[in-house]
Amino acid sequence: MQITAGSDLRTHNRKLMRKQWELQVAVFIGILFLAVFSWAPLFGVIIAFKDYTIKTGVAGIFTSAWNNFRYFKEFFSNYRFSELLQNTIMLSVLKLAATFPAAILLAILISEVRQVAAKRIFQTISYLPHFISWALVYTIAYNMFSSKIGVVNTAALQLGLISEPIAYMTSEKLFYGFAIFLSVWKTTGWSAIIFLAAISGVDTALFEAAAVDGAGRLRRIWHVTLPSILPAIVTVLIINIGALMGGGMGGSNFELIYLFGNSSNSAASDIIQKHSFTMGLSKGRFAFAAAVDLCQCVLSVFLVLSSNWLARRISGNSLF
Amino acid sequence: MQINKARGEWIIDVVVWMILVLFCFICLYPFWFIIVASLNEGNDMMRGGVYWWPRKFTFDNYTTFFAQSSWLSAVKVSVARTLVGTAFTVFITSLVSYALSRRNLVHGKVYRIMFVFSMYVSGGLIPFYIVLRLAGLINTFWVYILPTTLNLYFVLVGINFFRSIPESLIEAAYLDGAAERRIFLQIVLPLSTPFIATLALFAAVGQWNSWLDSVYYVSIKSLRPMAYWMISTMNRTQGSGANQDLSGAINLTALATQSTAVVATVAPILLVYPFLQKYFVQGMMIGSIKE
Repeated sequence: MQITAGSDLRTHNRKLMRKQWELQVAVFIGILFLAVFSWAPLFGVIIAFKDYTIKTGVAGIFTSAWNNFRYFKEFFSNYRFSELLQNTIMLSVLKLAATFPAAILLAILISEVRQVAAKRIFQTISYLPHFISWALVYTIAYNMFSSKIGVVNTAALQLGLISEPIAYMTSEKLFYGFAIFLSVWKTTGWSAIIFLAAISGVDTALFEAAAVDGAGRLRRIWHVTLPSILPAIVTVLIINIGALMGGGMGGSNFELIYLFGNSSNSAASDIIQKHSFTMGLSKGRFAFAAAVDLCQCVLSVFLVLSSNWLARRISGNSLF
Repeated sequence: MQINKARGEWIIDVVVWMILVLFCFICLYPFWFIIVASLNEGNDMMRGGVYWWPRKFTFDNYTTFFAQSSWLSAVKVSVARTLVGTAFTVFITSLVSYALSRRNLVHGKVYRIMFVFSMYVSGGLIPFYIVLRLAGLINTFWVYILPTTLNLYFVLVGINFFRSIPESLIEAAYLDGAAERRIFLQIVLPLSTPFIATLALFAAVGQWNSWLDSVYYVSIKSLRPMAYWMISTMNRTQGSGANQDLSGAINLTALATQSTAVVATVAPILLVYPFLQKYFVQGMMIGSIKE
């Protein structure tokens, strides 16, 4: 009985398959893209464990000899390893710790504005920087912060606030703060959108009830607004935690580091990805760079798992 | 009590406005300054003290900019990759997403798991580079287009979106014997403007702003997009790497031209921005519902 049911299903599926062949082709096209751009690179990770050179092509990935973890050992024994590790973790964590509350704060501030037009203007302006490429941010930041022509420096000098220019772009000590400031500038407005939507979804009766009970505005923000948008806060936090994993290209600090890192602030600005980039693409040591990349991926997974654990401890919600 | 409350609210209003105005100023002023710099004479700009308005007004920077063939070719690359890339992404991503959204798709569940899984894994930069190299994409225009053609995030967003279209519409067309491609092109797509517009915008802004792929995968000058060219002028202007404070000489013309380049790069975004921000916001919202 079951067998007939199974084969019935199979003939049914086959019929349906023939009827929807166009859909199947569409999915197949998608899988083709996945195979090339997502899955094939996964196999490529093997080269971290091999003596691979690019000249040997595809076959070389499989035929080249195992390297006995040579590249991992080389990376771990690098005298700058702890520096790279520290910068990578600190910059990711600090960035999240700063941009996330900033977005919530901005959303609350905007929602406290009662004039609808002003509200819209504030919002529109605040997420403008999101649409600017990091390349432009760099150029703009140079005009703002460089010690020779930077507006911030020249203005502060003119006003007598400082006696000599502050080297924002090259100072090792200031780098973390500077990088975080740039990230906040670029992302706060955009990230606030979601919280604003959450706030506008809060039942106004709650605010009125609180007001009747004599709660001032600050109290209403603290006791009504914040608890009401807590689910949104946790959700966004979790999404952001997921984005910490963006090891490869997107979502990470790489663009910022590539542009703002230089020889004088490198002790604070070099991260693992930058190291992998310099070694791999600039110097052509592909297998070594793949090993470094892999370390970065492992680190990302570790960061995600630990922040996930933290989110669960604090809020009771988590990604997994 | 009434008075007391009113006074408290008045103070809060002032504080809120002050912080917001300050924040918006910080967001907006750099753009204004760049525009001023692009309209001010280069040598004069270097003397400092120009903050709000051009002191020696000139269009020279713009004429220099548009006379440089290297910039012009970069503009062409940027425009081409934005147009082609957006078209590819919109077509392929929405097509795949729609097919996956169909409830009667044979093996649909397996397929969907495959796509979600792929979103969370990455082999890292180097293996990706090797794949592109073996595929013969390095140093071609297509390296800008193909890797981003299938946007997995929007595939997932799209699945949710297309599922919100009443099943009965598709069902009816199906029973009338309409081919799948007709259902997609004539029934589903016309109903999907919010999704398509959002996808197109994100693809277009992404392509227009992208420069890192040019650093990674391209070494041919004529294939450089504007955003890349800007950084490289910057580096040449300053001599050593990304570091102006270490090298003494600053090339004035290059610097003035550069602010012009920034304006030229930002202008298209600023021009469409007010009209399209509805979709930007919508896109953010569609995306978040998924989670």
